[in-house]
Amino acid sequence: MMCSTMGVFVVRMKLSALGFAMSHAAFAGAALGLLLAAVNPLWMALLFAVVAAMILGPLSEVSRLDADTIIGAIFPLMMALGLIFLSFAPSAGVGNGALSLLWGSVLGITMGDVYKLAILAVVLLFVLVGFGKEFLAVLLDRKLAAASGINTRIYYYLILFLTAIVVALSLQITGGLLIYTLMILPASAAYQLLYDIKKVFLLAPVLGALSALLGFLLSLLADLPIGSSIAIMATIAFLSSIAISPKRRRSRLGSG
Amino acid sequence: MGSTVVELSGVSAVYEGERTPALHNLSLHVGSDEMVGIVGPNGAGKTTLLEVINGLLPITEGTVQVLGERVGSRSHRLRRRIAYLPQDMFFSPDTPFLARDVVLMGRFAGIGPFRPPRREDHEQTMQALIAVGADELSRRPIGRLSGGQQRKVLLARVIARQPRVLLLDEPLTNIDPEAKEDLSHLILEIHRQLGLTTLFVSHEFGPLLAAADRLITVVAGRIIARGMTEPQPVKVQ
Repeated sequence: MMCSTMGVFVVRMKLSALGFAMSHAAFAGAALGLLLAAVNPLWMALLFAVVAAMILGPLSEVSRLDADTIIGAIFPLMMALGLIFLSFAPSAGVGNGALSLLWGSVLGITMGDVYKLAILAVVLLFVLVGFGKEFLAVLLDRKLAAASGINTRIYYYLILFLTAIVVALSLQITGGLLIYTLMILPASAAYQLLYDIKKVFLLAPVLGALSALLGFLLSLLADLPIGSSIAIMATIAFLSSIAISPKRRRSRLGSG
Repeated sequence: MGSTVVELSGVSAVYEGERTPALHNLSLHVGSDEMVGIVGPNGAGKTTLLEVINGLLPITEGTVQVLGERVGSRSHRLRRRIAYLPQDMFFSPDTPFLARDVVLMGRFAGIGPFRPPRREDHEQTMQALIAVGADELSRRPIGRLSGGQQRKVLLARVIARQPRVLLLDEPLTNIDPEAKEDLSHLILEIHRQLGLTTLFVSHEFGPLLAAADRLITVVAGRIIARGMTEPQPVKVQ
């Protein structure tokens, strides 16, 4: 649900390239965490993702780098680092740990992780509600928001920061390869269906949670990897939203 | 012309990554209640001029003062009193915001974080929509409105913000011919009724340019002609 909520920002602000880069940084971080063994991979993933956000944010803002360029530069580097760290990791840890980093595993989450996730969810909710108005203004149009007297830079970086945190956390659930499933697809589906941003913020997490739940059931019933099952469910939700979207229907009528 | 509200002295500005300055040693005084039209060829620095006035673009030389305060990139508080309508500000059909929310958001900076919009904010929003004749559009998605209707909603946003200074960048461009006349009169009415200091960029001959107290011509980042009601000799620096 946290993932899908942040997805509403990522989709509208076209940050997916940045998020993509962050997710791979998180992967590399987690791999390093596995290698060092003494450090919890979750914290290393968080650290890497946040650092990536803080480096890439200004970079894309100042040099107006193309999204593709960012992916092109960061993705191979981070993936390579991640794989190198994994190859050096103690062999005992590689089996489970590495696989769950790539593909995710709900079962690998400890009760302690659940508490951490819960605390972060509360913090996220607090920030989102507290600065809700300002975030909405930035989502409508950054220039208009800045011109109306909102310090958009602070909110832009806050969004990047929160996205990095959520990306790093969801690494454990969906894995590095499918990290985007829960962020992009439910939010995109909600955008297809609704014209009111406040409702998008309500629907996206619901769709995300539904995809996760149904994916979990699917993986249990069909004995499939959990991340893939969730991805399939989220994709089904997205495709059906396109099929029934009022936006598509009207634009077809308009053009015909 | 009353007391000076917008004052630029010797202002130069350069866009990042470019060598030739977008504005070159430019000075300009605009008084309260005054309406100034800015004309000139494409790329002359007209938009830049508006953006240094509200501090969205940092200047490299000179000073910009609005309402007696020096403008900089951190002048967020001052910017609440300056309404700015950027060029080509149109929303795509998918934009997930309702018209009334676009207007209401203009007031957000004044409310501050951790507080919901007050009843007063909602009332001002509705009154502003009624004032521009767009109240029946209030629950429609902004991107589904025509270009002229979107402009009306953005003008309602200006009214709802209750600014002192109004900056308009090509407010009539890409609008249906019928709506242009309507919008021009609306802008004039807002300018007069709210007692604003207004600067607008336009190359559309019509009621708006005709009603301006003054016109200035900007070419290559310099003001090369000032005139209309108070004609001055053209001087190229």
